[in-house]
Amino acid sequence: MIVGATATTPARGPTPGQDGSQLEHRFGDPFDDANPVGFRSLLEADEQHSSLPAAEDVLDAWGCNEEFVPSGLGGRWRQTDTLVRRLRPVFRRDAALGLGYGVTTLMAAVNVWTAGSSDQQHRMARELAQGHKVAVAFHELDHGNDFLRNTTMARRTDRWRLDGGKQVINNIDRARSLLVFARTGTGNASRDHSLFWVHKDEAATAGLRMLPRYETAGMRGCLLGGAEFSDWAVPDNSLVGAEGSGAHTALRAFQVTRAALPGLALGQLDTALHVVTRFAGTRRLYGHTVGDLPHARTTIAAAFADLLAMDCLWTAAARLLHLAPGRAGVASAAVKYLVPRVLQDALYDLSQILGARFYLREGAYAVFGKICRDIPLVALGHAGGAACLLSIIPHLPVLARRGWQPIEAPAALFDSRHTLPDLKFEALAIPAGTADPLAAALAVALEQPRQGRARKELLDAFAHSFAALREQCTALPPVERGPLAGAETFRLAERYAVLLAVSTCLGVARGVTAGALQDPEVVHAVLLRLAARLGHGTGVLPAKTAERVYSHVTQRAEEGLSMCLDAEPIFR
Amino acid sequence: MRDATALAESLERHLGDPNDPDHRFSFARSAELDRSELFPGDACRLLTDWGMQHQYVPAWLGGELTDFQAPVRLIRAVARRDLTVAIAHGKTFLGGVCAWLVEPTSRVKALARDVLAGHPVSWALTERDHGSDLLATEVRAAPVPGGYHITGEKWLINNATRGRYVTVLTRTHPDGGSRGFDVLLVDKEELSSSAYECLPAVRLHGIRGADISGITFHAAHVDDDCLLGEPGKGLETVLHSLQLTRTLCAGLSLGAGDHALALAMRFAAERTLYGRRLLDLPQARRTLLDAYADHLLSEALVLVGTRAIHDRTEEMSVISAVVKYLVPWRTDATLDALGQLLGARSQLVADFADGQFQKLHRDHRIVAIFDGNSLVNLHALVNQFPILARKARAQLEAPATPEAAERLAPDPAAAPFDPTRLSLVAQHGSSLLGSLPTSVRALADLAAHQPSLAPVAGLAHRVLERTHAVVAEMTGHRPSRHQVAAETFLVAEEFALCCAAAAALELWIAHQPGTTGTPSDPLWQDAHWLHATLRRVLEALAVSCPPSPQVDEALFDALTRQTGEGWSTSLLPQRTAEGISR
Repeated sequence: MIVGATATTPARGPTPGQDGSQLEHRFGDPFDDANPVGFRSLLEADEQHSSLPAAEDVLDAWGCNEEFVPSGLGGRWRQTDTLVRRLRPVFRRDAALGLGYGVTTLMAAVNVWTAGSSDQQHRMARELAQGHKVAVAFHELDHGNDFLRNTTMARRTDRWRLDGGKQVINNIDRARSLLVFARTGTGNASRDHSLFWVHKDEAATAGLRMLPRYETAGMRGCLLGGAEFSDWAVPDNSLVGAEGSGAHTALRAFQVTRAALPGLALGQLDTALHVVTRFAGTRRLYGHTVGDLPHARTTIAAAFADLLAMDCLWTAAARLLHLAPGRAGVASAAVKYLVPRVLQDALYDLSQILGARFYLREGAYAVFGKICRDIPLVALGHAGGAACLLSIIPHLPVLARRGWQPIEAPAALFDSRHTLPDLKFEALAIPAGTADPLAAALAVALEQPRQGRARKELLDAFAHSFAALREQCTALPPVERGPLAGAETFRLAERYAVLLAVSTCLGVARGVTAGALQDPEVVHAVLLRLAARLGHGTGVLPAKTAERVYSHVTQRAEEGLSMCLDAEPIFR
Repeated sequence: MRDATALAESLERHLGDPNDPDHRFSFARSAELDRSELFPGDACRLLTDWGMQHQYVPAWLGGELTDFQAPVRLIRAVARRDLTVAIAHGKTFLGGVCAWLVEPTSRVKALARDVLAGHPVSWALTERDHGSDLLATEVRAAPVPGGYHITGEKWLINNATRGRYVTVLTRTHPDGGSRGFDVLLVDKEELSSSAYECLPAVRLHGIRGADISGITFHAAHVDDDCLLGEPGKGLETVLHSLQLTRTLCAGLSLGAGDHALALAMRFAAERTLYGRRLLDLPQARRTLLDAYADHLLSEALVLVGTRAIHDRTEEMSVISAVVKYLVPWRTDATLDALGQLLGARSQLVADFADGQFQKLHRDHRIVAIFDGNSLVNLHALVNQFPILARKARAQLEAPATPEAAERLAPDPAAAPFDPTRLSLVAQHGSSLLGSLPTSVRALADLAAHQPSLAPVAGLAHRVLERTHAVVAEMTGHRPSRHQVAAETFLVAEEFALCCAAAAALELWIAHQPGTTGTPSDPLWQDAHWLHATLRRVLEALAVSCPPSPQVDEALFDALTRQTGEGWSTSLLPQRTAEGISR
């Protein structure tokens, strides 16, 4: 059941302050070398493998942590999509700053919002408001995404006692508290783990040993560490939720961050597009600017279309969390798989335009290379692509049979002018039912009469692909529904994710009254790019489409507007 | 002449097991130098001590280079340890080529002697504002009595600071044009200290220890006899040289692929996920096998492409572009896929295998950029579309005769390389692409007697069909100097893929080693590797192919044994140091 669909009220547009303008203004023009929180300084910090204190100060002063606190607990988090848009200025400048400063705190907090006691929730809200960081201590190198096999143990004696170790954990040294995922049962089932929110200063001093920092090729400013626990006694009230509910809680709570993190990462492609467009406008080759070469224009236009498509996808998934919190898990996994994949592909293509400039860690375009180094960690962190697909696969047969009937989505799903109900964390659920609102909306869209030859051809292709997917998913044998799934089954989940993106693009474009998606050529480009990922066509934009789309890009670059859906003023 | 395999094994033996941190050229040492961005001088000296530079100089100038397979294999062997070292040392090959292709003057002979003695040579083509646009070269060589005065800056030049010699592309006619440039050989030791200055090394995404710097000349005087080749022919010399170097660069990609496959296989065998070895999860295995098949496709193309320097010299303008475009690009994609398999470990700088993967992943990105990037190479193909399409139509329609099939099995000894046969345009089209009907027919004939070959013969037939379609698209192309449509680049990509398939087919037909008792046997049996590589080509051309469990099993068997027992991940049996030291 979609909740709150009728409770929403159309408003005139985003109210002031709901977008990223506040933070954009505070950070100023990143291309200005004199800006102490601009690219020059951020890149220098990256070279030093450190975060930039001046940039963290900006976030402190803005009260960034309060963004992570639901409004019901006194914070500024009302809508997840606006939360992301408000934070995107950080990722436009430095993903490592975003991750290193705050995103892992958000990941820890969502678990407490989802399953913590009222006391824990109020304490979390208080400590975030005070600017404290929380480390999310889940990852064990030996088990990676297979976290049900993690071995860190928690035993209850007089207090809880932890044994084991966690590795590659952001901020584990400087955070005041840790959210630890530990085993309280002996099996590998979903009820054998529990969550503990532990304040270091309240736990025993003995039994906790910090590990040296991990250096990574990208996100070099993040302080990734680790810890070893040996009979580390932690307070009794550390347990979050019921004993044995840890995996359940995490899988529910992380639906939120798996939709949000890729939405933030779009800021990286936004910047990359600005950088490459600047380059194309000034660099001369063979008597022309690079921007005069059709290949460069087409490549830039395609990357812009990809960015818009992914912006539609994650936004709808994030809004779905509010509208149908029990039905959003599969969509959120699809976002976490597809968005980083598309971002990486787009960056590779754009890097070809920069040529050797892409390879330099100095000069006017150095931030592009940094983005290329940072992006893989966005893809790997917080469940890698294969793990996300694997979490989709088991649901495909049931959804294909019963969830892909045409059901009109609530207007608020795709239309950002509608205010959303607050996110009901407690209602987040592990996907189990048969409802699949984004796919159902696609079924509706594909039932509409198709106009225009080119558009019809694409919609026919989507309809064909959707029908084929339904048939193949319905027939998926049980052995293919788990980790032993073959490559062909993984392809089904990939195609499913792309079709969800198609659904959201059609949905957003249908109701759009402003911005690039009002332009039919842009919509055509977006759909054509997605169609290629489904095996239909080459994805190369026809000249007429490319020219039109490219003109949007250059106009935004000249006017200092984001390349994202909202086209908000940036870099000023 | 020693054969390339023997040479590569000899070098491997000399360098020792790279997993042993006590070796001068170990993975651990390379990682450390990369972290501190220091030049790998010890490793380069080790290569010079062994005599790698002898393969950089043609036999007619006193070196040992008679077969270009040798330097490719050696560069690959070094690259699988450390791309920075391969690029730093191999640069001398690039620097020297211009001199080997022209009249061997006493200057050229002296240069050859110095290369053999271990002096590095740098190749200064690019400039800050012009990149690959060589016609825009601004560095000026003004004729003066007895020689030239060189003025201007060359930038992003490998070994510009460390190289004793620099071969410099200069503008000798103020108006430029195709006859307005010359290559001058500069011996920095002969210049006064005020005549030039080296620019600081640039900080890079990868190959962080390499000396990628620049050099500025201030009316630097060089003598008349430093001119390489006839006056006004510098650009042509450079373009001819690039046909060789672009082909040889692919050795870097093959080495990176070898290295990545070894790391991924080791990890997948050790890693347990969901209660199984990662290796045994079907999706992970698919990733590994696709990566391996792509690697073997690249190798087949490089083997045939390198041989073409000798026996299809006139076509190198096409073949070098196909190789330089396809191999680095496909290898980048392979490394991305293997990186995802490795997960967090693909990003750790020190905590997994000395951070080898993240280093090679970053390092390798340079290969698609330097010496002509992907777009430059696709452009080189597009420019030749009219003649390629015209010739291809005739070639594809010619009846496949037994005599033509005979020609697919070339003389095992490489024909001597004749630089005068190099040409800016492949006037007779691509005989590599043109060999397809003959190869496909030959395979079909074999399949008629050996039913196990029927599936691969079917794939080959589909490649041929697809090639017809690609040639038809090429035919429709209207040349336009710089306004090449994006779709046209796509056709060039497809053309390159068809050439790669043609190379794989030709290699398989010409070279069937029989049973060798090595881990590569299952690759050759029933044309398993050919099947796997043609499938990958067809998939890239959007033609879906049925799965083939036998092929998968054979490739997995070969890959497991090659990476586990110290063999190169190659179609040709060659031991690595890890295998030799067992």
